[in-house]
Amino acid sequence: MNAHQPVTIVMIEDDEGHARLIEKNIRRAGISNDIKHFTDGTSALAHLYEAPDGPALNGPALILLDLNLPDMSGTDILQKIKAEGNPLRRTPVIVLTTTDDKVEIQRCYDLGANVYITKPVDYENFATAIRQLGLFLAVIQVPDIEPEG
Amino acid sequence: MSQVHPCHTHTDRDQLHLYMALIRTCAVARGWTIPLLRSERSVSRFVLACMALGFIALIGSAGTAGWFVMKAQDHATWVEHTYEVERRISTLRVLIERLEVARRGYLLSHRQQTKDTFLTTVKDEVPLVSDLRRLTADNPVQQQNLDRFQALAVQHFQLLSRSLVLADKAPELAAAIFTHDQSLGVTRDLRAVTAAMLEEENRLLEQRIAAQREAVNILFYVLAFAGALAVATAIFSILVLRRYTGSLVASREEVLQLADELEDRVEERTRDLSRANEEIQRFAYIVSHDLRSPLVNVMGFTGELEAATKPLAALVDKVEAEAPQLLDQDAAAAAREDLPESIGFIRTSTQKMDRLINAILRLSREGKRVLTPERIDLGQLADAVVASLQHRLDELGAVVTVQRPMPSVVADRLAVEQMLSNLVENAVKYPKPGVPGRIAISAAGDRGRVDIAVADNGRGIDPRDHERIFDLFRRSGQQDQPGEGIGLAHVRALAYRLGGFISCKSALGEGATFTLSLPAQPTTQG
Repeated sequence: MNAHQPVTIVMIEDDEGHARLIEKNIRRAGISNDIKHFTDGTSALAHLYEAPDGPALNGPALILLDLNLPDMSGTDILQKIKAEGNPLRRTPVIVLTTTDDKVEIQRCYDLGANVYITKPVDYENFATAIRQLGLFLAVIQVPDIEPEG
Repeated sequence: MSQVHPCHTHTDRDQLHLYMALIRTCAVARGWTIPLLRSERSVSRFVLACMALGFIALIGSAGTAGWFVMKAQDHATWVEHTYEVERRISTLRVLIERLEVARRGYLLSHRQQTKDTFLTTVKDEVPLVSDLRRLTADNPVQQQNLDRFQALAVQHFQLLSRSLVLADKAPELAAAIFTHDQSLGVTRDLRAVTAAMLEEENRLLEQRIAAQREAVNILFYVLAFAGALAVATAIFSILVLRRYTGSLVASREEVLQLADELEDRVEERTRDLSRANEEIQRFAYIVSHDLRSPLVNVMGFTGELEAATKPLAALVDKVEAEAPQLLDQDAAAAAREDLPESIGFIRTSTQKMDRLINAILRLSREGKRVLTPERIDLGQLADAVVASLQHRLDELGAVVTVQRPMPSVVADRLAVEQMLSNLVENAVKYPKPGVPGRIAISAAGDRGRVDIAVADNGRGIDPRDHERIFDLFRRSGQQDQPGEGIGLAHVRALAYRLGGFISCKSALGEGATFTLSLPAQPTTQG
């Protein structure tokens, strides 16, 4: 595995509208990476760890994570991914949520979130944030997946 | 939150209901009713009356006993008196016999000594008789006897002295006369009289001894009765006291138990209330949180729509320029005016909704914040608040003065700062047209509370709105200033959290004074 493999974007977002807006803006920002969308935590985790084309088994990924999910809290997923010894520990995670609560933001960074973006209602700001995300995607160095074991 | 207010007033009323219900429950559980309580009172009155009667009877019998003792003593005196009289009568009898003996002796021996004895004996007789007369003054029978005795005694004396005189002159004749002398009869009579007197006295003595014995007997009965009464009263008193003490202890235990129960209930209630409060906080947080989610969509897709209208408008322009015959007026109006107008309204409304939701979120977050009371110098704090608002004050040409001295208060610094800041901002926000704002901050401590007043010379508030302005999203007067009606609601919510309250005094056109009353020391509520 190497850094030239295309990065898959895994979007975990239960709101179809938000997902569509995010996708639209990612595309508009000129990012053509594959986007896999999951509306709940369970299927997202299943894909991350078990799918043959999932990040754990195959290829680098970037995770867009919403904190409010129907079946579990986004912070639970974040904690799982960033836990010591986890194969996905170095996968960048961008937390996207409506909360601008300082305590919650702090908690996400403590758990190892790479970027925290508040979903603003102001469309322009939102688009800017997504575009910045695209820039971020363009420059990230996806690390080599460590061999298992 | 504005919900805190109804909760607050409900607490007191609920507490009152709770106490009443408790008292009622306890009363029913113990079979108490109001009439029963009244009868209990009458029973205790009865017991008291009984005891009082017992003690009165005791005192009465003691008095009676005393009276009988005095009476017995009286009888004893009379008995003694009788003995005295008897003694004198006996002496009298002895004297009479001695007179007789002395005369006979003289007649036989003619000795001067015997004659002297006779004369002294006569002399002794006189005071004895007068004594007896005095002692038996109350007894007519004895007086009569004494009269007779005196008459006889005089006769006797005359006879005897005549015989003595005769004995000196003619001893043989005297001796001869002696044998048929009347004196023997008189002597006999004297003996009889004195015997009658003795008998009379004996009769009296018997009578008096009997009376005395009777008095002693009665005294004994009275004493026995009094003793029994004393024992009965004592037993009754002890029983009543024991019962009374028992019921006192029982009711004390009951009261203690009630107090315990009440404390438990109050604790439980407080727990319920704080749980309900937490629930409201959580609810507000979740609602505002979840309300933002669809709002993101509305806003986002409005943006998409706006973006989509641009190529549409461009297309309409192009068609108008190149093929005007194809242009539909309605389509042109829709693309150029209707769509941008609708989108504009949607945008402003969603923006406002976002601000409101943010306000609720902020208030609920504020409600969750842990308060840390500390001693605050209000003068310093007011200066700091004025300094932080200086830029805005300069813009508006308003002047804020902090009136000293100012007391200190123990409360959460951030909360007090926020409240004062909101009040000052509110005061400068609505000036009277053409009049520069003059705001005065003052504070005074009184009986465990500190009142902080912010007075302005602004346009004033209609008295009808004095409560309403503290409600969330409610404003008063002309709406010519930006704002959502959050600042004062925030002040009230914080004031309630600190155990204080806020009030407003104002009339239209006459400025307004907001008074924030806080406890000088924090109350138990966190």
